Amino acid sequence: MTPASSVGLTDAESSVADRRRVESDEALLQIEDLRVSFEGRDETVHAVNGVSLAVKRGEVFAVVGESGSGKSVSMLSVMGLLESPPARISGSIVFNGIELTTLSRRQMKSIRGSEIGMVFQDPMSSLNPVHPVGKQIAESVLLHRDVSRKAAKARALDLLDRVGIPDAGKRADDFPHEFSGGMRQRAMVAMALACDPKLLIADEPTTALDVTVQRQIVTLVNELQAESNMAVIWITHDLGVVAEIADRVAVMYAGRLMETGTADSIYSSTRHPYTSGLLRSIPRLDTPLVERLPEIPGSPPHVTTLLASCPFHQRCPLGESGCTDSLPELEDTGKGTMTACIHHRAMDAPGSIWPIEELSRSDDKSSELRHLVAIEGLKVHFPISRGGFRRKRLAVRAVDGIDLDIHSGKTVGIVGESGSGKSTLGRTLVGLETPTEGSILIDGKPLDTSSGAHRRRVQMVFQDPYSSMNPGQKVFEIVSEPMRIHKIGTPDQHHQRVAELLQMVGLRPDVIDRYPHEFSGGQRQRIAIARALAADPEVVVCDEPVSALDVSVQAQIINLLRDIQKRTDLALVFIAHDLSVVRQISDEMNVMYLGQVVERASRDDIFDNPLHPYTRALLAAVPVPDPHGKEARLSPPLEGDLPNPADPPTGCRFHTRCPVAVPGLCSEKVPEFREVAPGRWASCHLIEEGDKPILKIQKRETEEENNEPTQDEETNQ
Amino acid sequence: MRRAGLNRLGQYLIVFVVAVTLNFILPRLMPGNPLALIAGVDVGLLTPDQRAEIIEAAGLNEPLISQYFDYWKSILTGDLGFSYRSGRPISELIAERLPWTLLLAGGALVISAFFGIILGAISAWRRGKKLDLGLLSSMIALESLPSFWLGMLLISLFSVSWGLLPSFGAVTPASDLVGWDHVRDVIEHAILPVATLSVLSIPGVYLTMRYSMLEVLGEDFIRTARAKGASETRVLFGHVARNAMAPVVTFLAIRLAFAFGGAVIIETVFSYPGLGRLVFESVGGRDFPVMQAAFLVFTVAVLLANLAADFLYPLLDPRTRARNE
Repeated sequence: MTPASSVGLTDAESSVADRRRVESDEALLQIEDLRVSFEGRDETVHAVNGVSLAVKRGEVFAVVGESGSGKSVSMLSVMGLLESPPARISGSIVFNGIELTTLSRRQMKSIRGSEIGMVFQDPMSSLNPVHPVGKQIAESVLLHRDVSRKAAKARALDLLDRVGIPDAGKRADDFPHEFSGGMRQRAMVAMALACDPKLLIADEPTTALDVTVQRQIVTLVNELQAESNMAVIWITHDLGVVAEIADRVAVMYAGRLMETGTADSIYSSTRHPYTSGLLRSIPRLDTPLVERLPEIPGSPPHVTTLLASCPFHQRCPLGESGCTDSLPELEDTGKGTMTACIHHRAMDAPGSIWPIEELSRSDDKSSELRHLVAIEGLKVHFPISRGGFRRKRLAVRAVDGIDLDIHSGKTVGIVGESGSGKSTLGRTLVGLETPTEGSILIDGKPLDTSSGAHRRRVQMVFQDPYSSMNPGQKVFEIVSEPMRIHKIGTPDQHHQRVAELLQMVGLRPDVIDRYPHEFSGGQRQRIAIARALAADPEVVVCDEPVSALDVSVQAQIINLLRDIQKRTDLALVFIAHDLSVVRQISDEMNVMYLGQVVERASRDDIFDNPLHPYTRALLAAVPVPDPHGKEARLSPPLEGDLPNPADPPTGCRFHTRCPVAVPGLCSEKVPEFREVAPGRWASCHLIEEGDKPILKIQKRETEEENNEPTQDEETNQ
Repeated sequence: MRRAGLNRLGQYLIVFVVAVTLNFILPRLMPGNPLALIAGVDVGLLTPDQRAEIIEAAGLNEPLISQYFDYWKSILTGDLGFSYRSGRPISELIAERLPWTLLLAGGALVISAFFGIILGAISAWRRGKKLDLGLLSSMIALESLPSFWLGMLLISLFSVSWGLLPSFGAVTPASDLVGWDHVRDVIEHAILPVATLSVLSIPGVYLTMRYSMLEVLGEDFIRTARAKGASETRVLFGHVARNAMAPVVTFLAIRLAFAFGGAVIIETVFSYPGLGRLVFESVGGRDFPVMQAAFLVFTVAVLLANLAADFLYPLLDPRTRARNE
């Protein structure tokens, strides 16, 4: 704390002039030695451990880190949004020349929302459900501007229009639940911008959104930032998004800054083992596929004592006794980065410090492909209950006619936006939902959900390892439960089997007496995998198994699943929204849209030559962790939201959002899901069959070069 | 909205039909002869002629189904039969007693809602502080008090020891007060029973409100409101309160039903001439037709309270509003 505490705002403002002269007038936000700890009953968690950084006016500054790295906590303390107690904050935060840590509540209140706007992660829960959206935006204006209600409402409409809400005048009186996720996040942006702040803090603003909507929001913030020249602090764990938006990047770990620098220098010449490890471990679409993702061993630490040494040294390939002697500070490496590592000079060849994984690919699976599961014409509809007598027969068509084959030792990948029905498909496959129509045959026999029967053969790994385990059960009970349910083996055998399984998933067998809360997210997901394998299944359905995990841990779990598959000939159904993750593990890819598969092909085919316009849009929306050439790459985002699955569009279901849809054709005629090339299936009128199938829109471009007019294109684009 | 409302009404109508049917069946399932239910005396004491007369009058010789329809007819026309004890029409008895019970239950509802909501909100706002802990433990202590004991305690303090308030009845007997004096008299008589009922209802409302507030305070949109620069009072009234109220409304509706049931004991302790006391008296006198009718009234009251909550809820929480198509 500075000694000049309890200054009035006017005093502070008068001292602004002095300060400005001293400090560079470029720095809008200057944080010095920020420390935040939370005092709990049993332990004190040190969330931020001495962070100093400066954000310039008009720049986009990304703070990257895994969960627990202190990235959100440090920015919440800038906003004064941490409750104290339990939080204890020290250090200095100077914003626009004003020391924020010494401001009174009232003074802080006048800066929050007016000078600094903030957008949060989850747009579903960040808007008040009982007030209309327009009113909530107008509230921001009314709190800081001396204007009439009418003027505030008009401003709210303006803002909604500016963030791209169609028909803003009508939608302003809607409640948040009547908005889609993407529109809610747009509304949150509108709210944060209501008073033209000098700084926008965006805390994981796209993490809860689909990749297509993420692209919309990134584009929106980019545009708004360019228009208004406000500074943006973008907090995220996603190195892909950072590359697309950031001017400068700070990498955080265990409450410390590991490295800062321009986006270019961080991505191309990082001098920190952690940054380089992160960059290597994320699966990406723009590089050739590697057999095994490089991992960072271990998981991020939980800091309960003051740091005295490099917090990364246990996981670091360069870690040695020298690393524990002192806490490394940021040093100028002369390569465009400030890096906190005593070994940064050893990093001259980035990436090389990490052990090279053996790349032997054991493709030659001894056993032949065995056809395990056949799904035919599967439909799963959920009736919308309207109550009462004259019930209208409406249903959400979550899965609406899908055929799928699953073979042993192979991975079927399923991708699509949320609401595409991919999770319902997975849940139906393990018998958690009942098909409305169609059949699921296992070895030719229909799925039987009674214990000991077919259900044993199909198991599931869920998305959230925190809530998918009974917190009152010990690891042994959790892992052995499937065996008890399906009456496999004796209690002695259970113990032996659980120990084997735990070893297989990379946990020490002596953890059987612990409870789930004693494990990290990655470890819990390992336990979940052990549980899924306990009853010796032939198919395991993984529903977003890594999306709740830290970036540095995702690679471990993906590799683990692959290893297990190789050893056991297991069939995997891998459901995810992250295309680069699905690419890493799948043999066959299925792209789902509104309950139907719109394209199916082998992994390489679909990523090398995507055919369906939806597949192309999905792929184009995936951020690439490389800031080079981002302008060229940023294709226009896919417009709009997923239509209502209870009332899908006529004709081709994608035609309402399709950039190449032909009016009169795509909106009228339902495209057949057909084999457009050997082993390649797609449902689109515009795909031309053949050995090398193409989307007709491509063909037109080449034909135009040859000056050959074609008949059906004037209507396109 | 209107369609959904009609549907909701339809559901309540079904529940009402089921309740009336049960009310019709129950006495016929009871051990012994239905004559006993109607006549209220040992059937053995009646002469055969008397029996035939009663059976004829009560329609018990008709087939069950026409008895059932007759029962419906009498309910819909408000003819609930005659009290065996007093011989007066039951509808008249109920019309006489119901307002008093409504006064007690309604008064207690308003008072307990007022104090419960405010104390619950304060408690949640200062969670973990001394005030919160003090309120919380005293509310839990209050909740465990038996109602008759509290009623008798209040009588012994306010009526017997201090002589401030009357201890029984709804009005001073044979006083023939009119106008303002009458109102005052009624209020004086109602204070103790209403206070007893209220004190017993406050903890429930308080706990529901406190829990609901704590839940809402942890929501992301509260952080959003603070990030906008809203003051703490603005956060409390503009963002927390309305969200926290919805579960409390449901609780109050259920509580009203309890208040009707609780009235049996309270009205007995205070000799208050309400519906609860009527039930007590008719149980003592084996006056089955009256009991049957009183139960029907209780059922309808519970249904109405829930119906009101159902219609109030969407006003508080737009997510529960059925959308027009």
